[in-house]
Amino acid sequence: MVTSPVLQRHPDDSWVLAAPLKVSPRTRRVLLALADAIMPTSPRSETTLEDVTRHALVCLQYMPRSSALLFLVGMRLLNWTPLWRFRGLRPLTRLSREQARRHLVAVTQSRWLPIRLSMYGPLGLFMSNYFDQDYAHRAIGYDPVPFVEERIELRRKWVEGEEPTADEEIHHLRVAPP
Amino acid sequence: MSFLAHRDYRNDQTFDAEVVVVGTGAGGAVVGAELAEAGRDVLFVEEGGYHPTSSLNPYLTESIPRLYRDAGGTIIMGRPPIPYAEGRCVGGSTLINGGMTWRPPERVLTEWESLAGQPDLGPKALEPLFERVEERIHAKPQHPASVGEDSRLLEEGARRLGWRYEHNRRAQDRCVGSNQCLTGCPTGAKQSTLLNYMPRALSFGAHCLTEVRIRKLWIEDGRCVGVIGKAVNPRTRQCDIDVRVRSKAVVVSCGAIQTPYLLLGHRLGRPSRQLGKNFLCHPNAKVIGIYPFDIHAWQGVSQGGQIREFLDEGIIMAENAVPPGTAAAQIPFLGEEALELMKQYNGMVMTGVLVEDSHAGTVTRSFDAPLAKYTINTYDHERFLRGVRRLATLHFEMGAKQVILPFSNMHTVSSVDDLDRIERTQRSRSTIELFTVHLMGTCRMGGNRRTSVVNLKGELWDLPGCYVADASLFPTAVGVNPQVAIMALATMVAQRLDLPN
Repeated sequence: MVTSPVLQRHPDDSWVLAAPLKVSPRTRRVLLALADAIMPTSPRSETTLEDVTRHALVCLQYMPRSSALLFLVGMRLLNWTPLWRFRGLRPLTRLSREQARRHLVAVTQSRWLPIRLSMYGPLGLFMSNYFDQDYAHRAIGYDPVPFVEERIELRRKWVEGEEPTADEEIHHLRVAPP
Repeated sequence: MSFLAHRDYRNDQTFDAEVVVVGTGAGGAVVGAELAEAGRDVLFVEEGGYHPTSSLNPYLTESIPRLYRDAGGTIIMGRPPIPYAEGRCVGGSTLINGGMTWRPPERVLTEWESLAGQPDLGPKALEPLFERVEERIHAKPQHPASVGEDSRLLEEGARRLGWRYEHNRRAQDRCVGSNQCLTGCPTGAKQSTLLNYMPRALSFGAHCLTEVRIRKLWIEDGRCVGVIGKAVNPRTRQCDIDVRVRSKAVVVSCGAIQTPYLLLGHRLGRPSRQLGKNFLCHPNAKVIGIYPFDIHAWQGVSQGGQIREFLDEGIIMAENAVPPGTAAAQIPFLGEEALELMKQYNGMVMTGVLVEDSHAGTVTRSFDAPLAKYTINTYDHERFLRGVRRLATLHFEMGAKQVILPFSNMHTVSSVDDLDRIERTQRSRSTIELFTVHLMGTCRMGGNRRTSVVNLKGELWDLPGCYVADASLFPTAVGVNPQVAIMALATMVAQRLDLPN
């Protein structure tokens, strides 16, 4: 829980976050299926898929219209990965998460650059959002807020004239590396 | 008035100023502050929003759309395609960069001097400008309390291998190593232009229009007399309010991609046909060491130093811890496999190899956005392979159990012997994965209208009243972090800017 008045996930500085880009229900289903296949299955909250997909659509609002459109077309093409890989006739939206993931892994490992390129966008959007959530942070042992709060306080004291001492140095290695 | 936003504008509103500066990053904020201090009436126009230090936080989800152009979804097309990041907010890229303050090497400045045919861009002429900038941004070495284990580990690795490691001087005032440079420093220590040049400009009477995208220059009788843009509705992202600024001079400081995009819309740069050419991007390749012990690289300054042993080859190596969201987007795994790897996040040391450009790409206009094109050549590719191999060797020397490499067909290696496969498997330039934040060139400065886009005052040869002050002025690649060089050239443009009576 954030105790500081600063470092809020949604800071209130009167700036307005864009509304998600409006897309058709079919495109939305494709995004949900891709997010589901790309992100780890656990930990998740009940709303993870919705949140991550919504965030992706918000991010698309900040891109030029042509880039956003290209991204969505790319997602629709990715949905038909089984077809253009000659591995099946059904789109990812009709496959199980594991099956869909196997297809997407193959795309990320393709020897053809344009095919690998099609995964840049979804990987960036979905993974960066997933690994920015508190439950994902807990799973990997990352807890930046207390550390940053402590550093803000350290600097405040320094500005008031109290220079940091050796005790405030950052050390984690108990022994020197081999 | 100071900062205005979308809610403050009325349709068809025209503002007046002596000088309008488009952009508030390392170029725009500096030129505007210098002019305001000299008594000029300055108005900044910024496409992004104003985000005070108190709103900055370690979370990517909102920070990215707030602070980064296109929510970070920007890419340079070529072989390989290179994603890039630049700021879109008050402070520009200085708000989200590492704050390094390296001057360009003397050989680079000597080359600039020779290309310009005048001493103006040489080491001697630029020396006082560098000193002025460094004083204003508090370019200083780090306090030991701010340095993290990843920096120490890299330094120790360099020492063991006999390589030169130099501590960074950074734009910081009492940095305590919160390692939040990429999402904006929440301690107020990093001296981005949000914290030094912009407040200075405002204290001398300058104002700033935020959330306005400039679409055209306002040209009358062959002279640039202002800019025409639209305010961007923050909720819908539609450009829905016309905003104009009339001025005696216009300074374009939108960076090496957006500046030529704006100018090419007017078919400028005709004398040399160099506008949009000479695009340089100082690409870098990630090398992530995974250690069997916790390092907590996310604690401590982002980049305590650089390995500069191979600077003569145009190769720099540095650590740069990024938040897990950014790291996860760069690793080649999905689902549980990605999570298993990310569970070792505290044992990761994220480093990169930066290679000085030996050739250039282009920036052109396409549909509603600029199109940047850049393909690494064989020479640069070879240097990347060499740099990656050296950096991975360092990680193994320091005890890494695994190293993630920037190759799509060879993502991980588990021992130093595996590195022998690099030469064999990496013959194609398509398999290397690059990234960049150092965009330069495209409006090169010079003393000859046949070879440069702007003159040594920063004014376009073919459009009086229109100046450029950002990284696009660089005649050649600098091979180091460009912030100080941009600021020095922006100071020069401010000092030489002529206003008609």
